[in-house]
Amino acid sequence: MVGGGSTPRPQTANPVVKLRAFTKNYGRQQAVCGVDLDIGFGEIFGLIGPDGAGKSSVMKAVAGVMSFDAGTLDVFGSRIDSERSAERVKERLGFMPQGLGQNLYPDLSVDENIDFFSRSRLVPRQEAEERKRILLEMTRLTPFRRRPMKNLSGGMKQKLGLVCTLIHEPGLVILDEPTTGLDPVSRRDFWTILSVLLREKKITALVSTAYMDEASRFHNLSLFYGGRVIAQGSPDQIMAAVPGSLVAFETKRQSQVLAGLKTRFSDVQARGSWLRVFVKGAGEKEAARQVRQAAGAAGEDIAELRSGPPELEDIFIALLREKKLTSEGSHSAAWLAESSAPSIREVPPNGGADIEAQNLVRDFGTFRAVDGVSFRVERGEIFGLLGANGAGKSTVIKMLVGLLPPTAGTGYVAGHGMLQAPRAIRERIGYMSQVFSLYRDLTVVENIRLYAGIYGLDRKQSRARTDWILEMAELAGHEDHQTEALPMGVRQRLALGCALVHSPRILFLDEPTSGVDPIGRRRFWDILFRLSRHEMVSILITTHYMGEAEHCDHLALMYGGKVVADASPEEMKNRLALQAGQLLEVKTDNPLPAMNVLREAGFEGVSIHGRQIHLLARDPGAAERHIRELLAQKSISLLAISEQPLSMEDVFVYQVMNLEKNGGKTA
Amino acid sequence: MTKLARVLLRGMTPLYLRFLVWLRRLRVMTVKELLQFSRDGALILFMVYAFTFDIYLAGSGVKLQLNMASTVIHDNDRSFASRELIDRFRPPVFNVEGSISRADEGTHLLDHGKTMIVLDIPPRFQQSLLSGAPTHVQVRLDASNSVLGMFASSFCRRIVESFGFQTGLKRLGVDPRRLQSGPQVKDSYRVWFNPNQDDRWFMSIAELLNIITLFAILLPACAMVREKERGTVEQLLVTPLTTFQIMFPKVLAMAAVILAGTSISLFGVLRYCFEVPCRGSIILFYAITLLYVFTTAGLGLVISTIARNLGQAGMMAIITYGPMIFLSGAWTPPEAMPRFIRLLMLLSPLHYYIDASYGVLLKGAGLTLLRDSILGMAILGGALFGLGMWRMRRQFQ
Repeated sequence: MVGGGSTPRPQTANPVVKLRAFTKNYGRQQAVCGVDLDIGFGEIFGLIGPDGAGKSSVMKAVAGVMSFDAGTLDVFGSRIDSERSAERVKERLGFMPQGLGQNLYPDLSVDENIDFFSRSRLVPRQEAEERKRILLEMTRLTPFRRRPMKNLSGGMKQKLGLVCTLIHEPGLVILDEPTTGLDPVSRRDFWTILSVLLREKKITALVSTAYMDEASRFHNLSLFYGGRVIAQGSPDQIMAAVPGSLVAFETKRQSQVLAGLKTRFSDVQARGSWLRVFVKGAGEKEAARQVRQAAGAAGEDIAELRSGPPELEDIFIALLREKKLTSEGSHSAAWLAESSAPSIREVPPNGGADIEAQNLVRDFGTFRAVDGVSFRVERGEIFGLLGANGAGKSTVIKMLVGLLPPTAGTGYVAGHGMLQAPRAIRERIGYMSQVFSLYRDLTVVENIRLYAGIYGLDRKQSRARTDWILEMAELAGHEDHQTEALPMGVRQRLALGCALVHSPRILFLDEPTSGVDPIGRRRFWDILFRLSRHEMVSILITTHYMGEAEHCDHLALMYGGKVVADASPEEMKNRLALQAGQLLEVKTDNPLPAMNVLREAGFEGVSIHGRQIHLLARDPGAAERHIRELLAQKSISLLAISEQPLSMEDVFVYQVMNLEKNGGKTA
Repeated sequence: MTKLARVLLRGMTPLYLRFLVWLRRLRVMTVKELLQFSRDGALILFMVYAFTFDIYLAGSGVKLQLNMASTVIHDNDRSFASRELIDRFRPPVFNVEGSISRADEGTHLLDHGKTMIVLDIPPRFQQSLLSGAPTHVQVRLDASNSVLGMFASSFCRRIVESFGFQTGLKRLGVDPRRLQSGPQVKDSYRVWFNPNQDDRWFMSIAELLNIITLFAILLPACAMVREKERGTVEQLLVTPLTTFQIMFPKVLAMAAVILAGTSISLFGVLRYCFEVPCRGSIILFYAITLLYVFTTAGLGLVISTIARNLGQAGMMAIITYGPMIFLSGAWTPPEAMPRFIRLLMLLSPLHYYIDASYGVLLKGAGLTLLRDSILGMAILGGALFGLGMWRMRRQFQ
């Protein structure tokens, strides 16, 4: 295999899809380069990787809607090498393109959309009605049959898309990023429905995702980066590709310790008040010992330390480093530690809130996008607004920066009322909007100079800030490149730099990392960390990556326009542990019936992840005994039960489910 | 320095500094627009084409005079008199291309657009003239181009009338030459402003004004809509820039670009190729053009607040461009239009601009003569720009 000597060649008997040395170019740009894939019958096969890694190209080729430049492709055992051969297998395929409800008609109702798909696929009328009834029942869309598709929520749109893709009972479905932009609750729901449907209808699925944490949903997966596969196999096999352990501990001297550890370990990150180290090739105990030692050398005596298995993202980054696919441009340890201010945040005891929202409400027509949102962001704090697309995060930010007037409520930014002194606020804040909003036809330096001029900096100040931004955002070498040609991660750092040109006290960042690859995201967070700790910049950031939430000092979870929880990530997890208990992972040979059994038995938070089942239990010991009993009764063999650390996603899902159970009262 | 002066200065400094910052913001935004323009190769190419070749084509290609009109003769008489009449249809106005022998051939040629004029001379034409009986000739002509058709019919009428008049005089025994000393009114006219009645002058100036109009609407509208489409305007709105500081630099930059194009056209095409004079002050012409570009750019900005993307902006520009030209008096004098349209014309900035620029270039008019036109443009421009700013502030809420 090109570029990946250590990746084993896939070995599957009678694969549904077989790709060999697959290559696709767009003009002179190589999108996919020598990819080998085997997808076995009945499995959910995952393609995981950042935007532009080549996932969509592979999926489109398998779906027969795009030609390719080299290699071979077999679907259902027949060679796809021409439009006619692709046409022959098309009726056994279902394809759902990227984007919420992209293949549906917004003005048609749920019923009409399904009918259109079943008729265009020539499904006999009576059979179509029967299938529609069952599918609507399973996706719980039956009550919304007459609603136009455009008025459905994101999760419902994706479920409807799935129904339309499955209505002709294809042998293979291809789903391109079906969960991107969905909230975690809808995501879990979608995955459960997909697993059940595929199992019942004996359908094979090829699914792509940009979320690393969805890896456990797949039977087998390929990690994509830059058009190549860097690892392939079952989630366990991939985790085993880079053995190592994750060590985390809390420290008051974060910056110094971080700098000390960086000299020893390649992958050290600050998350909230914690430091997180990936120790390659060491067991948990050994890793803990190494970190303790290194921290000791940096003058820190670690009291409490947690160690455990790494996450897929750590593996992904380690693989990229191993294969030298990424330029190691990350800031030197010295840069991160260089301190002009004390490294621990000295928060003024009371007051000192840089941002305060008071009961903000915003209506669009009859739709209430933001419903009574209040929160406080303290000086120098990284505050995360977490929620799905459409939860109201962006609307809150737009109101605070003065782009949208609120329907009711008010807010204070840098001590100024947002209704009384919008201009004074604008001079003191930096803002980075969701879409890349710099001038694509200007160069990096021209963009920076433009914003320097807009904020009224004179020539000397402008030059000094330009130098500072180029260093801070690691833009050296890109100065005279037009921003159009820059990779996503670099662009986002430039946008951050431009938002900082006038040294604002407060930063508003609206989904700054969406679409950026994991390495780019880590570098971005490194910079935010330094800004908040050394420059005392208060940062309000929104994200729909649950994993990123752990970087924040404080979090507000938003759902349906409301803040449903407001605490630090640790507090949130501790609270969940108190309320609902620990996360248990149950491994069985027959997960679907097992899941039903456990749900009926009244366990909370039961969800399916590939071959495993996750659930919450207050007393893990008792729960384990109970589970063993239940599964033995149904003669489902249990392979293993283990305790797992709680993630932010678990917190989010639990909060929202609780809220819905209690009839939508704000927590 | 006295205490009072120091106090005054202290009070003045922030104001003076604030003005400096204000100017700096305007400057960086204008420079940004010019930079963006300079990176847009396709747009530059289109502008160069429009300001040079397009105007050259309009000036040299379009003639409003009758020139070598294709004429076919159906002579049923073949006499001395008929030949004398035919001989009067001469170049450069007419070009006799041949003769036909059947009437329906003429119909056929006219139907197929092969000829413009068919002259039918009846049998016994000469005999009738000699015997003193009245006779007719028939001219059939293609007036699908109404202007040329009108010219052709009046030329033909004059030729036939003078032929008839002179034949009549001869029959009465009067020598036409003797009339010169008789009682007669002679017309003696002087053509002002365009003494050779050179169409190239009129056409090339008209086209230049049209092109200026097109770009003055399109460029600011597209620059603004592009910012909306890409989300960059949102970034600008959270900076301390005012709406005016966001919008005005676009107009400023695009006015500079259009004035540059106008200069190329004025000196490179109008002067060099067509020898169009500039009888008035060239500086006055530039000043008027600048004012006109501001006025029309206001219209472009209003469009940009309504349009959601470049396509819509382009379409709306074309839709407004058409009526502006029809209501400008470029093709027809206002006096020839119905009353309510004449009132509408007061709303077309091009109407004032056409008056003013023909005035400066061909008539050598000065400020006093053009006062009303300039005032009209200024009022319209202020109103449009104000409307654009108001809509701009509203649309994001």
